[in-house]
Amino acid sequence: MILIYFAGIDLGSTMTKVVIIDESGKLLTHVVQHTGAEHRRLANKIMESALQNLNLDVEDISYIIATGYGRINVPFADKQITELTCHARGVAHFFPKVSLAIDIGGQDAKGLKIKDGKLIDFVMSDKCAAGTGRFLEVASTTLGLKLEDLGAISLKSTHRVSISSLCTIFAQQEIINYLSAGVPVEDVVAGLHDAIAGRVARMVARLKVEPDVVFTGGVAKNIGVVKALEENLGCTVLVPTDPLLSGAFGAALIACETILKAQSEGKSIQRTGRKLEEASFFRNDDGILSGN
Amino acid sequence: MAYYLGIDIGSGTSKGVVTRNGDVIALHSFRSGVNYKLAGQKLRDELLAMAKLSMKDVAATVATGQGAGLVDYADRKIADIRCCARGMNSILPEVRTIIDVEGQSTYVLKINEKGQVINFITSERCAGGAGRFLDIIANVLQVPIEEIGSLSLKSNGPIVFTTACAVFGESEAVSRVAEGASKEDILAGVHKALAEKISSMVDRVGMEPEYGMCGGGAMNKGLVVWVQRRLGVELLVPPEPQYVIAIGAAIFAREPVNKTFSS
Repeated sequence: MILIYFAGIDLGSTMTKVVIIDESGKLLTHVVQHTGAEHRRLANKIMESALQNLNLDVEDISYIIATGYGRINVPFADKQITELTCHARGVAHFFPKVSLAIDIGGQDAKGLKIKDGKLIDFVMSDKCAAGTGRFLEVASTTLGLKLEDLGAISLKSTHRVSISSLCTIFAQQEIINYLSAGVPVEDVVAGLHDAIAGRVARMVARLKVEPDVVFTGGVAKNIGVVKALEENLGCTVLVPTDPLLSGAFGAALIACETILKAQSEGKSIQRTGRKLEEASFFRNDDGILSGN
Repeated sequence: MAYYLGIDIGSGTSKGVVTRNGDVIALHSFRSGVNYKLAGQKLRDELLAMAKLSMKDVAATVATGQGAGLVDYADRKIADIRCCARGMNSILPEVRTIIDVEGQSTYVLKINEKGQVINFITSERCAGGAGRFLDIIANVLQVPIEEIGSLSLKSNGPIVFTTACAVFGESEAVSRVAEGASKEDILAGVHKALAEKISSMVDRVGMEPEYGMCGGGAMNKGLVVWVQRRLGVELLVPPEPQYVIAIGAAIFAREPVNKTFSS
């Protein structure tokens, strides 16, 4: 039996994720790395390491779909698809009853309304750092804490503070003021989690919050934000085992479906000559929007 | 001889003036720090020392700004936008539209010939719409804040900031530096982005000549030029534009209490 493989690569603003699956949709390997400043050069390195995990060559992958804000800079991808579509697909795979998917990434936050596994509406915020992972990143630097420790620290809070600044920059000053007034750090962290959750909850209110609500993206790894989001939305929030992978996984699933559909219709899929190489350009001025 | 104090405790800088018969005889400012109460006391003490006065010479004090509530020696507290309008009106009476660029917020005020506020709009404490955006980029580029305005005017081609958020803008500036963009072009880009945000606020309030600019942002002559270019009008800038609000507060201090409404 010849195994066929599909890959999804999600170039986010902060993290790049690669997922390789087989035709049954089983996750075979995944690699996650910081996108970094020279991220367009990194896409192929991350793909290479995913291929090495399975001892495969890039030509062994039947179809590769790139998504995320840097998707245009993946020269070895067969197709680019927006992250909204890929996220919806990935989330619906793990949570078939999902009605609202919330993704908080490093530089944006999205709300996706999903019906019967299909994306029907969305809201998005990428104009302002508040309400995104960047807010917590900046705050953790100000606090002198590790980003990944914030969740656990916030659970110790007994008297959560209120962060009144919507702006990330001015919230820094508020953090300093609270700390210098002797407020315990866990109460400040819990206040930050509430601020980000409140902002995102207001953003998704238009989409009508109904179960199942699924929370993905890097910020979903923070248990404090999960709890704050539950409080702000007034319902249970489900989080996949690896909330970073839903976009890349969705992309790989769409890759798989594209090939299986073509095979069943007896069509062949045109694949451009594939080379595992660095993107040769640096600007993504207007981005490419591609449907599915 | 009656002396009056106008005390403006801003989130970034505390500014104060002493007036005698309506003339400013002392001006003083410093970083507010985290303790507004302390800043208010220090400002009073240092202003009085500069004017060689003691508190008993002061007939009345009006406090304004974010820390006004902690100025316990003030007779009254009056909202900063009202002080701004009065201050500008006393210096440049022809001004009807005021652009006040502060560290945390920008205000655009429409005022009448008496210096009363008719309408106003604020950037709502967004660093991307206030002087703070310039501070952040100046810090990335390691350029002293006093020099950024004139450097921005030497640019041959401003880089385009794709964001109006100061946090994302900082990352963008870092990327452009890595790609070899010049300081001048990056500074021109950030001035242009801020000028755009400020000017769109003016568009929303409605244009009415004459136009005046004040606040710490007006000390940046480059920013004044970028806003002028975008709006296509001349901006009048009073001397010592950062003291306009404190001057307005001192004017209110001189008036009988029943003429003003405490905020």
